Amino acid sequence: MEKNSTKAMIITLATIGIISAILLTFVYQWTIPYIEENQEETRRAAIKEVLPLAEEINQVERESQIFYEGYDNSGNRVGVAYQHSGGGYNGPIELMIGVDLEAEEIIQISILNHQETPGLGARITEEEYKSNFVGKPFGDYVVVKTPPSKTMEVQAVAGATISSSNTTRIVEEAVSMINNAYGGGS
Amino acid sequence: MSEFTQLVLLFFGTVFVNNFILVRFLGICPFLGVSKQVETAMGMGLATTFVMTLTGAATWLINTYILEALNLPFLQYVSFIIVIASLVQFVEMFIKKTSPVLYKSLGIFLPLITTNCAILGLALLIPLNGYSFIGSTVFGFGAGIGFTLAIVLMAGLREKLEFGDVPGVLKGVPVTLIIAGIMAMAFMGFSGLITI
Amino acid sequence: MSVNAKQLISDFKNGLWQENPIFRLVIGMCPTLAVTNTMVNGLAMGLATSFVLISSEIVVSLIKKLIPGDVRIPSYILIIATFVTFVDYFLKAFYPSIAASLSLFVPLIVVNCLILGRQETFASQNPVHRSFADALGMGIGFTWALLLLSAVRELFGMGSMFGLQILGDWYRPMVIMVLPAGAFITLGILIAIMNVIGKNATNDTTCH
Repeated sequence: MEKNSTKAMIITLATIGIISAILLTFVYQWTIPYIEENQEETRRAAIKEVLPLAEEINQVERESQIFYEGYDNSGNRVGVAYQHSGGGYNGPIELMIGVDLEAEEIIQISILNHQETPGLGARITEEEYKSNFVGKPFGDYVVVKTPPSKTMEVQAVAGATISSSNTTRIVEEAVSMINNAYGGGS
Repeated sequence: MSEFTQLVLLFFGTVFVNNFILVRFLGICPFLGVSKQVETAMGMGLATTFVMTLTGAATWLINTYILEALNLPFLQYVSFIIVIASLVQFVEMFIKKTSPVLYKSLGIFLPLITTNCAILGLALLIPLNGYSFIGSTVFGFGAGIGFTLAIVLMAGLREKLEFGDVPGVLKGVPVTLIIAGIMAMAFMGFSGLITI
Repeated sequence: MSVNAKQLISDFKNGLWQENPIFRLVIGMCPTLAVTNTMVNGLAMGLATSFVLISSEIVVSLIKKLIPGDVRIPSYILIIATFVTFVDYFLKAFYPSIAASLSLFVPLIVVNCLILGRQETFASQNPVHRSFADALGMGIGFTWALLLLSAVRELFGMGSMFGLQILGDWYRPMVIMVLPAGAFITLGILIAIMNVIGKNATNDTTCH
């Protein structure tokens, strides 16, 4: 019996490969609606968090980027949300930012995805760090280790300077993206 | 920043700041298993670097031209592991034919490389970080050099430790892990040096 | 082959202590160190690995006679990778937060030496019921070891267990415990303690 012939080996591997691909196609089709629903849900919750006054969200495309415009009941635009990502300490950080274009300040930020160290960098998702950005005017921020004394200062999470400053940089980038798309000043 | 500078930074960032073994926890098995002597550690490191560089390039090609082009994300793990297993096989045959001397020194490590999670980890990180083709190759090479650095350093320490008076219960695995912990602390000093 | 209950129990018990994958065989170290920073992660990783281990041992022991010897390892890896993809999509669909915190280490179950090692040393040589018992024991052995390690790290590193604050405000968390350095040192000390209790751990250098 030629059990170890090349033909038998190729047939075995190909058969396993094909069965595996077929099974996984089913798994993919079964789970993908749930996965997309989860992502949609996270995004909706994040927009709600960064634009608390908005009653209605409009998705618009400007400069080939997607923005979420929030309107209140009387049809006034209360703010614009934008999703942006960048490198963190361990991997990409994805965040949602809501800004008030008229007042030229940040309303709130929300972290969607990150891979930072639990107990350290992961604390960028906590209110203590995120509140740094509430009501901050547009521009460049300085990351400091002590409670901020100037408007443009952002206090880093203790022991996680890199996660904090990278997040701050993503926020800066997001702000300038929104500014560019909406023809804002600076 | 020019593209070249970025690649240089990516390389050094991968070797020191995000060292595969000590920061990302990838490739711990060979790190503990094949670090008794500097010479063998070096062999393992070089063989791994070689495979990692090729994996970096191959993964990018497969991911861009097959998986993304045909929209088959669910076959990512299966296809990456096949690529790695075949690459290792190919490298083994190639070295065996071209350089028997090299084969003699690296040959025994090659089969171990397929199940080294640093290689699959590398393959998975490439689509996640969105590198270019050259970026992926440099990333693979840097990861391999970082792996070699950590494993050779560890082997050097363990060779010295042979003559040390280690308490009985700590002998072998425990003391190796504690040394690894101290090395990881030392590598924490690099964090923030380069941010990619 | 007749079912021998005594043998099944000994196959099952083997992985719990005598050949515990983490404390005795010292294999599967990457996920062991990487995801044990919180107990939730440790438990989820243990269960995910156990699922892949049990399913692939069953499949391998069922089809072992059909696989030619030379492509044994690639075939096992393919089977394992299929189950891992399943677990990954399942977690992403129904437990998105766990999937996010384990991230890269779910796919890396593919190359966990424990799983491939058991196919090679056990499932490929033993009937289905014994393979199942072995996989169950090894899976539980792996899971409890991960839980113990993550309990120590989370308690000292964050003062909590399963995310619930246990230690009060007086406790200053030892941040090093949740970092890579703390992972290595904690595991080193735990293995040393296990060495005091039983015989010394054997470092399985062959890995597969």
